[in-house]
Amino acid sequence: MSAPGIVVAGLRKRYGATLALDGMSLTVRPAVVTGFVGPNGAGKSTTMRVILGLDAVDEGTALIDGKPYHRLRHPLNHVGSLLDAAALHPSRSARNHLLWLAHSQGLAARRVDQVIEQVGLTSAARRKAGGYSLGMRQRLGIAAALLGDPPIIMLDEPFNGMDPDGIIWMRGFLRSLAAQGRAVLVSSHLMSEVQDTADHLVVVGRGKAIADAGVADLIAAASGGRVALRTTAGTQAMAVLTRAGATMAATGRDTITVSGLPADRIVTLLNESAVPFSEVSAHRATLEDVYLELTREAVEFRAATPAEVSR
Amino acid sequence: MRSALHAEWTKIRTVASPLWLLLGMIAATVALSAGATSVVTCVPAGCGGDMTKLSLIGVTLGQALAAIVAVLVISGEYSSGMIRTTLTAMPHRTTVFAAKAITLTGVVAVAGTTAVLGSLLAGRLILPGHGFTAARGHPALSLTDGPTLRATAGSILYLTLIALLSLGIAAIVRSSATSIGIILGLLYLLPIVSQVIGDPHWQRRLEQIGPMSAGLAIQATTDLHSLPLSPWAGLGVTAGWAAAALVAGGLLLRMRDA
Amino acid sequence: MTPTVTPHRPRQRVGRDGFLQLLHAEWTKFRTVPGWVTGTVVAALLVVLVALLTGVSSNQKGSPPVPIGPGGEPVTDSFYFVHQPLAEDGSITVAVSALESSIPKGLEDLRPGIVPWAKAGLIVKQSTRPGSPYAAIMATSGHGVRMQDNYVNDTAGPPGPVSAESPRWLRLDRSGDTITGYASTDGTNWAKVGAAEVSGLGSTVQVGLFVASPQAVEGRGTTSSVSTAAFGDLRLQGGWTDGEWTGEQIGAHSPTFAGFPGNRSGSFTQSGGRFTVTGAGDIAPAARYSLPAAGTLKDILTGTFAALIAVIVVGALFITTEYRRNLIHVTLAASPRRGRVLLAKAIVLGAVTFVAGLAGAVLAVPLGERLSRANGVYLFPVTYSTELRVALGTAALLATASILALSVGAIIRNSASAVTTVIVAIVLPYLLIANPFMPVSVANWLTRVTPAAAFAVQQTLVQYPQVANPYTPYNGYYPLAPWAGLAVLAGYAVVSLAVAAFLMHRRDA
Repeated sequence: MSAPGIVVAGLRKRYGATLALDGMSLTVRPAVVTGFVGPNGAGKSTTMRVILGLDAVDEGTALIDGKPYHRLRHPLNHVGSLLDAAALHPSRSARNHLLWLAHSQGLAARRVDQVIEQVGLTSAARRKAGGYSLGMRQRLGIAAALLGDPPIIMLDEPFNGMDPDGIIWMRGFLRSLAAQGRAVLVSSHLMSEVQDTADHLVVVGRGKAIADAGVADLIAAASGGRVALRTTAGTQAMAVLTRAGATMAATGRDTITVSGLPADRIVTLLNESAVPFSEVSAHRATLEDVYLELTREAVEFRAATPAEVSR
Repeated sequence: MRSALHAEWTKIRTVASPLWLLLGMIAATVALSAGATSVVTCVPAGCGGDMTKLSLIGVTLGQALAAIVAVLVISGEYSSGMIRTTLTAMPHRTTVFAAKAITLTGVVAVAGTTAVLGSLLAGRLILPGHGFTAARGHPALSLTDGPTLRATAGSILYLTLIALLSLGIAAIVRSSATSIGIILGLLYLLPIVSQVIGDPHWQRRLEQIGPMSAGLAIQATTDLHSLPLSPWAGLGVTAGWAAAALVAGGLLLRMRDA
Repeated sequence: MTPTVTPHRPRQRVGRDGFLQLLHAEWTKFRTVPGWVTGTVVAALLVVLVALLTGVSSNQKGSPPVPIGPGGEPVTDSFYFVHQPLAEDGSITVAVSALESSIPKGLEDLRPGIVPWAKAGLIVKQSTRPGSPYAAIMATSGHGVRMQDNYVNDTAGPPGPVSAESPRWLRLDRSGDTITGYASTDGTNWAKVGAAEVSGLGSTVQVGLFVASPQAVEGRGTTSSVSTAAFGDLRLQGGWTDGEWTGEQIGAHSPTFAGFPGNRSGSFTQSGGRFTVTGAGDIAPAARYSLPAAGTLKDILTGTFAALIAVIVVGALFITTEYRRNLIHVTLAASPRRGRVLLAKAIVLGAVTFVAGLAGAVLAVPLGERLSRANGVYLFPVTYSTELRVALGTAALLATASILALSVGAIIRNSASAVTTVIVAIVLPYLLIANPFMPVSVANWLTRVTPAAAFAVQQTLVQYPQVANPYTPYNGYYPLAPWAGLAVLAGYAVVSLAVAAFLMHRRDA
């Protein structure tokens, strides 16, 4: 079997005048949670629908374990997915919803009860799905994705409508799926949701990936070796550090961001000059920073290639 | 009420399907009428029959499309969840429902007038070529003829009433497929079932209460004594059905959670 | 890059890749939506309910019995009979030199008219009881000389009408139960027309002249007629008791006899060897028009129309709800081969509807029959196999209609339009053929090419070429054979299923 995981290459799709996908490429590898982020309308859902063979593309390929989706014999054994938690018949119970899916793959009813328990829906399993809250529907959708025990899990906006408990549960759950060796693709338009969960990030804008890199690399790139300094003697500290060749920006009443000097050198310099400070730490850019920077460029410089940006 | 009407008119105007359905209604009505009038011939030995009624036979088909338009006005909102948006914007539900009914009446009446006049014109043009001439007791169909004018105006009213009946049933049932099933059942089934009722009294009674069999009495211009009930009384039965459905639908819309 | 992790391998072992799994999944989907199950059960109940209504609502207690022929079928056996007994073998010969018919025009106003199946000739009949066995040879107004026996058998003889210039000589020979008929244009050269074995004649039979004048077909209706014939050159041989000729109208009060038009009645006059006989009625199998009060299986199963609407709604919803709720994405993610998904849906839906329809029909037919008969209604008889065909056909009709609704639903993806399209396509042609203006040719065309052709599967009435009757689909006579009619609907279903599969394949889900 060639290339485990999902390999998407050069997808192009046009809806009338709109170019929904414009050369979308990405790879989802085993044992990694891949975050799939971008603004609404950037092409995340369309890409997922193409991966699942629901939409046809004008150009490009999307392969699951080296095969197009429609060639998979028991697709739910390869990919478990959740696109739309509301995709239910409202008068069918959760258990029955999973039961027909299980039957379509030749799975035993026992497996249905297992996944129901796994997502914590046992007590509500025999109620009509139409009466479920959005969070419960999300859990039911996750259960459906897990049904075939697939090595690839693909979830579209799984955090939508979840309460804080649910979000924490979902994060741990996604990590555990990756820890079991599964490839996990999670889309979101909120960076903070995937920041603590994803290992790898594909940032999309205008129908293509504008960054495809590890979360740590992306943050490091955006942090740019800057150091955050907290001190009540801002003027003195800036004088000392300017002499040592650093550039600075005051970012708050008693915080300064320093560039051009490593953190340990800053501590030494300040101690030598007896400037009081309460904290020196490496500045950690949030994914929001990264994301805004990348998408701003995507907006301003449409010619910028993903390679340049991620480098 | 003005703003509710304006909103409903904008809603019906800004989606393509009602327009296409209404155009379809006109086309289907005229086509069936023209088809029916072009297959009859008047033989020299004599030809009886109510040519006005035959020329308006397309209404039996057109009403089905009018019913879809009406059902989608309300069921469409339930299936998409837009009903919540509508009722949030216009919390007075009776007003919303009345605005829907008035808007629907307007568009169906306009389309119905076109369809019915088109059918009549087709009959006027086609029938003389098939031997239905004044010399054989069949003068060309004309609105100056009292019974023909009544049949024409009544057919337009009938189409409008069927649309209102459908709106009421859709508000009661909410599911579009089930609504349309019930409406077409009411319209088409009663005349078929009444044929096999052995007791003539009950057979006549069924024809008197069926919204279609009673209402289409308005189209008759000859043999009025053989009708289950008089033309205007028949249309009154259809109006009764429509009124009952609208009242029930309106009440349920007010009482139920959206 | 070298993977440092072991990719996950599914531990859920699946069964074989099979269409059966898809069927199982779709069946689970169907049975777990209460509304669909209810709709299907309601469809079956509607069939039964209307059958009960049909049975209960008719009351014909005390109406005279319908004459039944030797084959068990209802017959018309009303004619003017000038007869005397014949105890043993013998023969009778006569010349028919005139046969003229009259039909009413307006009230009481009789005008000469054409009744092609007006009959004048010789008959050997077991007795004067309506429905008793017979054999006859006759001149007809429009179909030449015919030899007929026991109501359903008909053999053509020399063609052409009779007149004073060109009379027809007719002869019947009786030898036991064998009756042989001859015809001649000159009284000397005889041609054998046919021979009939008429069992149960007994030794003494009634033999003589008869005139029958069936209802004339006027457009979609019928009108009663009366005919008068002139006979001459009557010759008898064999065991005649040499009695007087007795004239009487047979079956004057039979439900299959519409009576004389105007104020006419049957009569005969005799002067020497010349007879003038006036009569009305017919000696023939009963058709729908000659027995209007009788019921058929099709009448009992009128609830099929109601059931149709229910199964069409369920059939369309089975696919349109998937589209409306995006459930189709889940379905197609689980089974990416779209054509197979659609086929599985069609099979499950068709099978469920078939079973429900069969249950409804199997319950409705005996219940409706029993109730109708208890209320004195005569039902056109059917064989056990016909009854089975009607029940199976009704179930198949409902199943096919539901598959058509499913396919149209997959094409249109809007439930209200899909339901309306299919109901209108099946029910509207039926309403049109019931319209009194619709010419028979158009009604036949409609029941040949529209989905309403499928109702042919419920027909039980037989068309007889020797009986003039408005054989219209509305009266239960379809232009297509039962299963051929159903095949028309099946054709529509298959074509739309193919179109739906093609579109499903081509369109984004």
